[in-house]
Amino acid sequence: MIKIKNLSRVFRTEEVETKALSEISLSIKQGDFVSIMGPSGCGKSTLLNIVGLLDSASSGSFQLLNQEMIGLKGKEKSKARKENIGFIFQNFNLIDELSVYDNIELPLIYNKVSSEERKKKVIAIADKLGISYRLKHYPQQLSGGQQQRVAVARALINDPKIILADEPTGNLDSKNGNEVMELLTDLHVNGATILMVTHSDYDASFSQKTILMKDGMILSEKMNNQNIDILISQ
Amino acid sequence: MLKNWTNIFLYHIKNNKLFSALNVFGLAIGIAGLIFALLYWNDEQSYDAWNPEKEKVHQVLVQLTGMPVFSDCALFLKPILDKDANIENVVYADSWYQKDKITYKGKKEIVDKIINVEADFFTLFPFEMIQGDDVSALKDDSSAAISDVIAKRVFGDENPIGKQIICLDQMFVVRAVYHIPGNSSIAPDVVMNKMKEWTSGNMTSPFVLKLLLKVKDPSKIENTRKSLGNLYNIDFVKRNAKEEGFTYEEMASKIGHFNVAIEPLSKARLHSIADGYPEGRGNYQFLLIMVGLSVLILILSIVNYINLATANAVKRAKEVGVRKVVGASKNTIVIQFIFETALISLFSILLALVIVELTLPYYNDFLNKSLRIIGSQFYLQLILIFSITVLVAGILPAVYVANFETLKVLKGNFGRSKNGIWLRNGMLIFQFTVATFFIVGSYIVYQQIDYLTNKDLGFKGDQVIEINLDFPNSDYEVESVGQNIYNKYSTIKQELAKIKGVEQASTGLISFDGSDDSLGGVLYNDELFKARTIAVDFGMFEMMKIEVVKGRSLCQKYASDTITSVVINETAQKLMNMKEPIGKELIIKQRKLKIIGVVKDFNLLSPEVAVSGMYFYHLKTVDIAQNINKVFVKLKSDNIENTIADIEKLWVKADNEYTFKYDFVDKQYARTYESYVKQKNLFSSLNVVVILIALFGLFALASFSIQSRMKEIAIRKTLGAETNNLLKELSKQYIMYCIIGFLLAVFPVYYLLNKWLENFAFRIDVTVYPFIFGFLILLVLTLIIVLSRAYQATKTDVLKYLKYE
Repeated sequence: MIKIKNLSRVFRTEEVETKALSEISLSIKQGDFVSIMGPSGCGKSTLLNIVGLLDSASSGSFQLLNQEMIGLKGKEKSKARKENIGFIFQNFNLIDELSVYDNIELPLIYNKVSSEERKKKVIAIADKLGISYRLKHYPQQLSGGQQQRVAVARALINDPKIILADEPTGNLDSKNGNEVMELLTDLHVNGATILMVTHSDYDASFSQKTILMKDGMILSEKMNNQNIDILISQ
Repeated sequence: MLKNWTNIFLYHIKNNKLFSALNVFGLAIGIAGLIFALLYWNDEQSYDAWNPEKEKVHQVLVQLTGMPVFSDCALFLKPILDKDANIENVVYADSWYQKDKITYKGKKEIVDKIINVEADFFTLFPFEMIQGDDVSALKDDSSAAISDVIAKRVFGDENPIGKQIICLDQMFVVRAVYHIPGNSSIAPDVVMNKMKEWTSGNMTSPFVLKLLLKVKDPSKIENTRKSLGNLYNIDFVKRNAKEEGFTYEEMASKIGHFNVAIEPLSKARLHSIADGYPEGRGNYQFLLIMVGLSVLILILSIVNYINLATANAVKRAKEVGVRKVVGASKNTIVIQFIFETALISLFSILLALVIVELTLPYYNDFLNKSLRIIGSQFYLQLILIFSITVLVAGILPAVYVANFETLKVLKGNFGRSKNGIWLRNGMLIFQFTVATFFIVGSYIVYQQIDYLTNKDLGFKGDQVIEINLDFPNSDYEVESVGQNIYNKYSTIKQELAKIKGVEQASTGLISFDGSDDSLGGVLYNDELFKARTIAVDFGMFEMMKIEVVKGRSLCQKYASDTITSVVINETAQKLMNMKEPIGKELIIKQRKLKIIGVVKDFNLLSPEVAVSGMYFYHLKTVDIAQNINKVFVKLKSDNIENTIADIEKLWVKADNEYTFKYDFVDKQYARTYESYVKQKNLFSSLNVVVILIALFGLFALASFSIQSRMKEIAIRKTLGAETNNLLKELSKQYIMYCIIGFLLAVFPVYYLLNKWLENFAFRIDVTVYPFIFGFLILLVLTLIIVLSRAYQATKTDVLKYLKYE
């Protein structure tokens, strides 16, 4: 599903040149749940942003669904993004001025889904994530966990091919954090492809594979079979 | 502390050069507008303000039903005023200036403002006496007082007192030199007392001379007014009835009712019902419009400032948070921000003064004044403007900033704060309202003035010049003055006819400059009509292309046309309710005249006034030819300049004492509505200023508001929004504000402009068109600004806004 080869990203300021990513290669298959870990500034968020088509690489190759993404124009990127990718952010990034319903609905509007269809889908996903009774509320009226559920609902509403999660539990207490992780695991079990950046070993343990990064390079890849077995057996 | 504040202030100025400059400039324009209005206001308000007697000196004005207000009163009022215990002085005076030359030792100086008054004049207008004294200044009819300006011009460094001058063909001894301390309703160059020949005469007419009173107790003036009213309405009417053999009631209904008004000098300039004094009235409506509009513009620029400051405050949030953490109280924060506003206002005021200083000559030209930036009063007002600007513009943003919650601010979760947004948007709507007002308003004003300029006046004056005839006084001191002057005029006419470029010459006791609104009496079937009675020479109608719609015009062929013929206009026919006017008999100036023709209505007064009934007869019909003081000459269209030069040669030969003065009749007429053309120009130029300020405000606000929505934009983009979607999303609200602002302005514009249009007898109707026009302009300008800002926003890097703010 995702093939990354020799991908580099260089940030330049007037005086300094920083290599956020240097020559990274990585591949993620359909149905994988991969987490990326590493200290602050190791390049994990940069990698996620490039995969999410929010940032562009300086060199190398990135294929999404066998299509080369490096060098695409804004409009094509935007198209690829809205059709294939769902985002979950650490700080939820909900629009405060819109109700929960409107927030979840937004990607559908941009994908030109009819309003009837939209309504059905929003209600269905809200039901699935247990936030139906919150649809008329505004983000600021919700707890952090609930807000992240809304963000997850929004990420899923379009049936994206891959879900990108940037420290999804970073702003949550452990109870709410657990809930969100369980949610992601559920999604994974049902076949979703997930790429997650995290600081937390505990969160990473929910995934199949953990990639450890440092100074823009991949240090190691480790399989977490055990955890999945436990979960599956539950 | 101050140093710290100044440093950070300078830092922000440096980093926001464009906005700082626009801010200062916007405020400066607003303040400059107010300064202009203030200079005008001060000048108008200063009329007679210096005069300690301003509440005691009164003018008597009389209005007879259906006539304009007269500033001249009857002489028969004097005995009862002399008996009135509340009256201290009674002064009859001219209500106008005479113009003549002063001759001293063979040297001639033209003087524009000579006034003839009674001896007590200086108790009513106590000018500062530089030499001589006010008692002896006007003690007899050969004494004169002159102003310091004229003294300098005529006598130079010589002492004028006791010197003999010749003026108005008579010898005077200069008894006093005065200085006029400020603007005055009577501001003469030369004051003389030759009233005896008038006041001791037997003139029984109700309107002879200007009447000025100095009263002891202004609150009791009503009694005097009543007794003067009785003198007119009872005594005068009774006397007339007796002479003419009518009953009192009959006479009273024939003449109409006299309304006497007594006004204090303090109201003369701006609140009088008539142009009673020689210096005339100020245009109070125009003054109010000026002041109103300039205050509006200042408010607009202050609103801009507040908007920008509160929007910008988001950027200062962190600074405020840190200051609070290290010990600043709310008050010190407020003071710091007011301090910044004070600095900005100071720059603005200095810039405003520069703008005013540079453009003052144009402004003076525009107002026909000579205003200057001086006077302690003005500087006090300037300080007041400064303080008000600082307070109004400074306090809101300062309090807004000071109320930031420290913790929230420091955590950086502030950019999307809803604080103050309703205020900013409200102000934006207000700006849209004002801008609509100006766009629609100036469009309507433009339409009306355009209508006046292109209106068919009923006459054509574009190739006709009016030339002054100043016959020497000796020509008026012969047996039959009228005949003499008529002969002189005829000679000139013949001479003119010999000049190659002259098509025709004629005259009439008629002026096209709107200066003459006098009315006379016309009797038809024993009913009195008040109308313009105008003596003309043959050829006047033809020359002015005044159309004869019935019968014929006055013609040299018929001997009767200099004895019994009269031509009326359509309005007169309508007023007298005549179906078939030709041949009907009228009595004008005690002469029976027969109507021989009807001419189409044409304007003589400014187009705001309806055409009155007019009656034309030949100059010889009534003994009135001595009043001829001009000749109208129609020029052939080619070589007009040469023709005028040839005419001038004729003048120089005939009369070497007066300069050759001419004017095109159409230009004269255009001057009757000059003040409205000025209002149009004023409105248009203010329009540009207002739209600029409003657009700048919109630009700034849209920039900041879009800035604060960057995160939302980033999220939407991440979710797949395309540029079109975003542009729609971002400009939606501004279109709404634009519509709301427009709707709010509709009624005030409609109401105020209709009120303004009521000034005109000939006016346009307010249609929907200016509103559509105004709305489209506003909408297009809004879209240009907002879309350009929004487009920029959609092109920025979303990553910056997704994680941190």
